[in-house]
Amino acid sequence: MDKAAVCLTREQTLNVALNMGKVLLRSGAETSRVEDTIVRFCHNNGYHDVNVFVTPTVILIGDENSGSSTIMCRIRSRSTNLSNVSAINEFSYNVQRWHLSYESSMDYLDKLLNSAPPYGKWAICLASAVCSATFASMLGGNSHDFIAAFVTGGLSMVLLKQLGGYRPSAFWENTLAGAAIGFLAILCCAVSVQCTRTNIIVGALMPFLPGVAFTNGLRDYMAGDLISGNSRIAEALLFATSIAIGLAFSLLVWYHWGWDLWPGD
Amino acid sequence: MPINYVEAFIFAFLSTAAFAVLFQAPRRTLAISGVIGAVGWVVFSYMRKDLEYDSFYANLCATVVLSLLSELAARIFKHPATTFVIPGIFPIVPGLGMYNGMAKLIENNYEAGVNTLLRAGMDAAAIALGMMFMASFFRVLKLSKEQRRLSRLLPKKR
Repeated sequence: MDKAAVCLTREQTLNVALNMGKVLLRSGAETSRVEDTIVRFCHNNGYHDVNVFVTPTVILIGDENSGSSTIMCRIRSRSTNLSNVSAINEFSYNVQRWHLSYESSMDYLDKLLNSAPPYGKWAICLASAVCSATFASMLGGNSHDFIAAFVTGGLSMVLLKQLGGYRPSAFWENTLAGAAIGFLAILCCAVSVQCTRTNIIVGALMPFLPGVAFTNGLRDYMAGDLISGNSRIAEALLFATSIAIGLAFSLLVWYHWGWDLWPGD
Repeated sequence: MPINYVEAFIFAFLSTAAFAVLFQAPRRTLAISGVIGAVGWVVFSYMRKDLEYDSFYANLCATVVLSLLSELAARIFKHPATTFVIPGIFPIVPGLGMYNGMAKLIENNYEAGVNTLLRAGMDAAAIALGMMFMASFFRVLKLSKEQRRLSRLLPKKR
């Protein structure tokens, strides 16, 4: 531990800690994990007076002396990337054991921040399709439901990914996905009589449900991070509402006009 | 109606593994989280459909089992437990209840809608409770292990 304290100065320690927190928070880790990782890293380098404040949108690292520097980082976009969470977890153990130099740790973290996620756009779309189809079967759907949910879940994720280039707000993104799911499910039911609309919609909905945000919010509450808990639960509720609005739009249009909208009838 | 557990296991396995891909989990953990999610779903459907417990208890037990498995897997395969738990709870998330509640609400059937939504909320709470329970249990174990190691290193206080 003494050796490490010689290796890294205070600024270097804080910089590495901030970058670790940045990677973790952008990958959707829970708040207590981010704070733990940062504090443990600083302790291992011999800085015991470091305080850290993390919410889903900001990281602040400083201490109780008025003369010392405080660094902060604003997090604008978050996604879920469990690979990065796992990588940082491993990195924080390695740093403790092997005493990596400042340059090599910063290089590693920069590479992690800028690296593409392990699965590309089309792999995600395929996964979404498989996920929807198998879930529709788990709910008791037949083979027609399986195919319909495969198409619905896949196409709505393709739509979401294609729209992602225009950087819409997350609210409208989810609303459009919900509307697309409702529309495609109704279409599938119109094509085949053996489809059950509930099975298809619930299956296709599963990839878009904000389950991670919700469970992370509850975990933050349990760990005592009240502000993070509040904001994550609010985010989850917002996303759930936006999907419901999109879905409700499609279904209401169907209930009101139904077959009148069908051309050539 | 008895359910076909082999079929349920295979579908839940595929679906959890696909969900792990959606969350960008490391390639090596996909199959493991698939097995964990499938075990959770089989426990859930056994309790819910065969033993006919309330869905709150079924969800709680399934989550306790699968988070226990994920904590063990985290220690065996050296990945954080989150990597296994988050995809693993996916098959038992009450998506059906949420959708049914919403569908009833837009049919102006408010009583049934709120009833179903609250039920889905209770199921979600049961899942969170089970996860919390296991996570805190393992945190206590880890802390007590660290304390024992510390007390061996430090001289005894009088």
